[in-house]
Order: sequence, then C-alpha cells, then structure tokens
Amino acid sequence: MATCPFGTSRSRRYIPWLSISIPAAGWLIFGLYPSIATIFYSFTQYSGVPGTPLNVCGLCNYHNAFTKLLPDVGQSLKVTIIYVIGVTIGQNVVALLLALLLKRRGRLFTFYRALIFMPQIFSVAVVGAIFSLLLDPYSGPIEKVVHSVFGINSAFLGSSSAALPLVMAINVWMFTGYSMLIYIAGLRQIPSEVYEAASLDGAGRFRAFRHVTWPLLASSTTVNVFLTAMGTLGEYALILVLTNGNFGTRTLGMYMFTSAFGSATGQLGYGSMLAVLQFGLTLIIGGSLLYFLRRREVSL
Amino acid sequence: MTTVEISPTARVTPRLAPRSPRQRRLSALIGQHTLCFVISVGFFALPILYIAMQAFKPYTTFLRNPTGLPSSWSGANFSDAWQQGNFARELGNSLLYSLVPDFITLLLGVFLAFPISRGYFRYSNALYAFFVFSGFLPGGLIPLFIEAKSLHLYNHRLGYLILTSLAGAGFFFFVGYIKGIPRELDEAAAIDGCGYVRFIFFIIIPQMKPALATFGVFGFIAAWNNLILPLVMLSDESLWPVTRGLYGFFGEHTQNWPLIAAGTVIVAAPILLLFILLQRYLVEGVAGGAVAGSQSVTAAPRQLP
Repeated sequence: MATCPFGTSRSRRYIPWLSISIPAAGWLIFGLYPSIATIFYSFTQYSGVPGTPLNVCGLCNYHNAFTKLLPDVGQSLKVTIIYVIGVTIGQNVVALLLALLLKRRGRLFTFYRALIFMPQIFSVAVVGAIFSLLLDPYSGPIEKVVHSVFGINSAFLGSSSAALPLVMAINVWMFTGYSMLIYIAGLRQIPSEVYEAASLDGAGRFRAFRHVTWPLLASSTTVNVFLTAMGTLGEYALILVLTNGNFGTRTLGMYMFTSAFGSATGQLGYGSMLAVLQFGLTLIIGGSLLYFLRRREVSL
Repeated sequence: MTTVEISPTARVTPRLAPRSPRQRRLSALIGQHTLCFVISVGFFALPILYIAMQAFKPYTTFLRNPTGLPSSWSGANFSDAWQQGNFARELGNSLLYSLVPDFITLLLGVFLAFPISRGYFRYSNALYAFFVFSGFLPGGLIPLFIEAKSLHLYNHRLGYLILTSLAGAGFFFFVGYIKGIPRELDEAAAIDGCGYVRFIFFIIIPQMKPALATFGVFGFIAAWNNLILPLVMLSDESLWPVTRGLYGFFGEHTQNWPLIAAGTVIVAAPILLLFILLQRYLVEGVAGGAVAGSQSVTAAPRQLP
C-alpha cells in the first residue's frame, strides 16, 4: 500500500477516499444495487404501481416458470440458445472471411473496412427502420427479388419461420465489423516468416490457413467468440424494434422486457426472475466458453 | 521446338490472353477490389443508401413505384418529418443526454481510477477485482426503474441525467491506463506543493487524452443510440431523445415509408457525420485496442442496461 503524497500530513489520509466517494456512491446506488436487487425482486410479485404492496412470495415466480409457464419459458430458452449459437457462429465466420479479404493496408482497404464497421454506430432504432422497409412484404425491394427469383411469398419479419433467422442475420450485419477488426489485428500480428516457411515446405493456401493462420489466430478467436456470445445473450433492443418479440423471436431478454414493461401494469417480479434466469444462462455459457476456448488455445 | 506439338487451338490462346506476371497481378488486384467493393458497398452501405434514396420520393410516387429511383427528387418528406416528429427538440434532448453523462462519467472515472491504480488503499487490488467482477452481475433494469420512480428521477429531464451519469460511474478501465503514467510525476508535483485536484486536472488528464478521446467518442455514440433506457424511463414526449422519437414516429406512420425514411435519415445523420469525421481514428482505434487486450471499447457501452 502506497501513501498519497498530496495534501498535508492529515488530509492525505482521506484525500483518496474523497476522490472515489462520488463515483463509488453513484456506482453503488445505480450500478451494483440494481444488479443485486434483481435477485430480491425475483422473489416478489411487484407490479411497479406506486402504493401497491411488494407481495413477497418466495419462489412463486420460479415455481410458475417451471410448471404452468414452462412452455413460454422453455420456448424463450430455446430461442435464446439458437440465437446465441447462430449469431456467434455466423458473425465469426463472416468476420474471419472479411478479415482475410480486407487485412491489407492501403486507402481503399481502409474505406472498405470503415463501411463494414459502419452499421454498428447507428442506433437499433435506425437499423430497425431500415430493415423494416427493406423487408416490407408490400413495398420492400427484398420481397421483389425473392418473389421473382424463387417465386415464393414470405412475410419476412412477420413470418414465424423466417423472422428468427432474419433477425439473426441483421444482428450479424450490424456487429460483424467489430469482430472483423479484432481478427485483422490478430492476422497482422502473425509474422510473415511463418508463411514463408510454410510455402517453402510446400503448403498451399488452404493448408497454410489450416496449419498456420488458424492456430496462431486462437487468441483473437477466443476474444471474438466470447464477446459475441456474451453481447448477443444480453441483446434484445434489436429484436424489440424488428419484431417486438413476436413470430418466434422472444429471447429471454425480450421476454423479460415485455413482461416488465410491455403493458401498463408490469410484472416486475416475474421479469426479475427471467433476468435471473438469463444471468444463470450467461454464467453457464460464459464459463464453459472460457474453459473450452482457453484449453483449445493451449492445445493448438 | 515445342511449337511443333502444339495444337491449333492452343496456339490461339496465348495470343488472346498474353499475360505477363505484371498483368496477371493487375487483373488479380482489380478482381480483388471489385469483390471488396461489392461486399462493403453492396451489403453494408446499400441498405443505408436505399433508405436515404426513398426519403426523397413523394408518397404518391412511392405508392406507384415503391422500389425504383425517385423520378423527381423532393425534400418535402424531410420538412414534414422534421415538423411532425419534433426532431428539433429531440435532437436537443439527445445532445444533452449524450454529452452530460459522457463528460461526468469520464471525469468521475479518472477520480475513481487514480487512487486505485496508485494503490492508496489497503485493498486496492481487491477493489479493482470487485469492480471488474460486478460487470458480470445480472442487468438491473427492473430495479433501476423501481428506484428511479421512488427517487423521483422517473420521467424527469434532470433525473434522467443524474441516473445515466451515475449509473456509468463504476468505470474502472482507466486503472490500467493510469498505471502507465510514471509515479515520479506525483512525487515531484507533491513536493512542489501541487494539490490533488489540481494534479488530476493539469497533469493526469492531459496525459490521458488518447484514452479519454476514445472512450469519450464511444460513450457519446452509445448514449446517443440508447433506446431501451429512454423507453423505460421517459414517458413524456417532450423529454424523448431522437431514438425514442424515431421508434414512436415509426409506429405512428406505418406504411408511409418515405416519411419514415426521412425521419431515419434525420436521426442517423449526426452520428454518420461524426463517424465520417473520426472514421479512421475510430476504426483503427478498435483494432489497436483489441490487441492491447482492452476490449473495453465495446464493453463500455454495454455497461448501461
């Protein structure tokens, strides 16, 4: 422990505490407390209307979730897992392909990378409006193309078979640029001598990728897969603007949001329970991802 | 001597494609650039260009020809959207909701990180680990809503500013950065009689310009783009930022796509302008930060529920 050199011999003892007091208090009140209180509220049937009682009911929400509301909760759980796996794989595959294509330096490449990165600087409200128009079944251009090429009609975001894959694709479109940049940074760290050695040994492009690039890119893959999975698990704003959670796109996060804020009298207790379930899922997925990705890095 | 064995067709081919290594490289380069251009413009920029184009179409033209180019370019949708969507007021709100919390969060972040990174507390490392760990706790949107109501911060401009400024205050990413600023500066300044606050403002903050700029810009964009928090915390239309406004506008004018497109362009334009100005810096900054192991750039905006 170091002593603070500033102030008089008396004031230097409390200057560090004064320094962190306001940010720490703000964080305790608006950061840590709400996080922990989620667990407490999950044991209640609070409606959020001022003056109404809290109705502490123990495990009632959890009991409901695993009995009479199990179809709803199970469906959300399934959608969440499909969503997370699909987006994580899709985003990383697309990002890695783009990174291999666009890793070179040069003005034009900077321009391409900037365009691919661009979607994520927009609000989900903007992205939602853009894709609702593009995918509009009556006046959108994608319907025209799909109809003339495949001869089929689809309601796109209003169809229970197409909505989830489309939302996933839009999610990938929006955030793949960030993963691409991490892959490019990783690719640029691989020394060119390794590739020279590989080509001297007679390795073609694919073998060079398989045996040089892929193993040496392991730490970037770890970061990208982990960040994408965690980010996607908590994401529901995009789903909200695109489908409002309808047509088989209600992830746990979306379910939490609709049950708490979807109507005038929210089920804040039930919503909190869903937030806790989502937290549990985050722990399981995050923990196992870290474990496997780290082990993979070592073994590669 | 080999020419004798070459068949007539094979003799023609080399004349059609007389490829020196240089020419082959050139055509490969053109092919690669075409591919990159098609992907980056065709897939990533076209959706935005398309909606911008629709915004210039009068509604009647749109009904007749929804997907084509506008026959006459008209700015009427923009003025209609501007008035009907109250975007002037909402842009003002958005600017306020983004600038104030961004500034306060960064400033508080420096005051939080400095003593921790210098190890002035007995358990500085444990404190740091605790802050990092707390980022993995469940998102507390519902209790934050209940809290805001009971503290009368709900549906209130100043309340929203207090809430967003302080909710992001557990900002510990500067701890690592400040460790890189030599400790000798502290002692030299203290011996010369420099006070703590003065030291932070005149020595530490100027040293942190790159980090402050990066987090400042990303924090601004994240706050500007936030839709969930205004949706939950602000019910009064006069308090809405542009994102909430566009979401409402979208619901109100369904099927009048040119008008919605114009509103979308109005909302997207300021951020797009910021991106164009800082593009190189933002894009390469992310790539650089990723190598250094501070993926915090995206983790930071996700701090807020």
